[in-house]
Amino acid sequence: MEILKYARPQSMDEAFRLISEQRGTAIGGAAWLRTNTKTIALGVDLADLGLEYVREAGDHIEIGAMTTYRELETSQLLRARFGALFEATVSHVVGIQLRNIITVGGTVAGRYGFSDLNTTLCALGAQAVFYPDQTVDLAEFIEKGAGAPFLLEKVLLPVSAKGAYRQMRISENDFPIINTTAAWTGSGWRIAVGSRPAATRLCQKAMAILGEDPLPSDETIASAGRAAADELQFGSDIRASAEYRREILPVLVRRALMEVRG
Amino acid sequence: MNITLRINGKEQSIECQPGEMLTEVLRRAGHLEVKKGCDTGNCGACTVLLDDKPVLSCSYLAVRAEGREITTIQGLADEAKQFAAFLTAEGADQCGFCAPGFALTVLSMKKEFFHTPSEAEIRHYLAGNLCRCSGYEGQIRAIKKYLEADHA
Repeated sequence: MEILKYARPQSMDEAFRLISEQRGTAIGGAAWLRTNTKTIALGVDLADLGLEYVREAGDHIEIGAMTTYRELETSQLLRARFGALFEATVSHVVGIQLRNIITVGGTVAGRYGFSDLNTTLCALGAQAVFYPDQTVDLAEFIEKGAGAPFLLEKVLLPVSAKGAYRQMRISENDFPIINTTAAWTGSGWRIAVGSRPAATRLCQKAMAILGEDPLPSDETIASAGRAAADELQFGSDIRASAEYRREILPVLVRRALMEVRG
Repeated sequence: MNITLRINGKEQSIECQPGEMLTEVLRRAGHLEVKKGCDTGNCGACTVLLDDKPVLSCSYLAVRAEGREITTIQGLADEAKQFAAFLTAEGADQCGFCAPGFALTVLSMKKEFFHTPSEAEIRHYLAGNLCRCSGYEGQIRAIKKYLEADHA
């Protein structure tokens, strides 16, 4: 990727103005720039905006847009709230050197199909906060996009949720063939599936089968797994066929649900 | 554009393009110890430390490194030499192309862990460093012995 002009704003206002008025492109981790062939007229680097944090804020945890995968992986706060969920979600992503670069904001804003993280964020019921004052459901953003230039400031996680992540890969640090996160929110179940290979989607029918019972039976869980495979669309690519993904998914959903249920 | 990078404790003023990655700029500045491997963010040969954290210089914007401390293998020559003795003793040095990146990741792991890491922890930490010669077994033995000696 080529960047014709580079800006490093020192405030969110300045960054937002460059993006919204001068058609600037926000630069998150920038790890994919190397392999991308696009040309960016104005790159707006978010590095100096203080967006690297994982912190508690009332009944939410806030994760700044420039927080790296490695910081998610090693965060004591996330471990205390969600167990090993975030470590399990991001620790297969290439190596530590790349996880020290790639960011939460870059992943969410890019709405990448292969993403592990977006699957977990959608399942937990995360919200995306766009500067200056717009908060949207993250799963809806992943599905529909923003429709206008935006500056992602942070992601909000409800602390009441608990989840489990499952994935299948051909080799340890490759992109996933398919991934899923199941979560109990405190009042209902959420199941997200990513790397279909298209972007993450919630499994509404499977979630409806599970209902509001925090302790669904093995049979109900198995039904939810099959429903997830039936309601989603899958594609074929170099890593797996659509049929293979459809066959594998119910097993992963069942295992994730059983881990959360206990 | 002109940027000033602090490399191994010394400031260097360097011309670069806004979208240029750190590997190219470091090598142009004379730091050929930073190896150019896959150049796509997969192999770990180009690893440098940025404020003591290992990053892939092929996937890091050079201009973003301004104001941060960049350490190449030359900046940790004494420590690298100690580690290299363990690699050699285990027959794991082979062609050596991946060695600078490997060594920097190992030295970073040594700083990060307060205990001697298990083999699983070592393998996980080094998953981003690929080697096409050794099959990893000799390297894992060398790393374990090096870290055990350090924590002894």
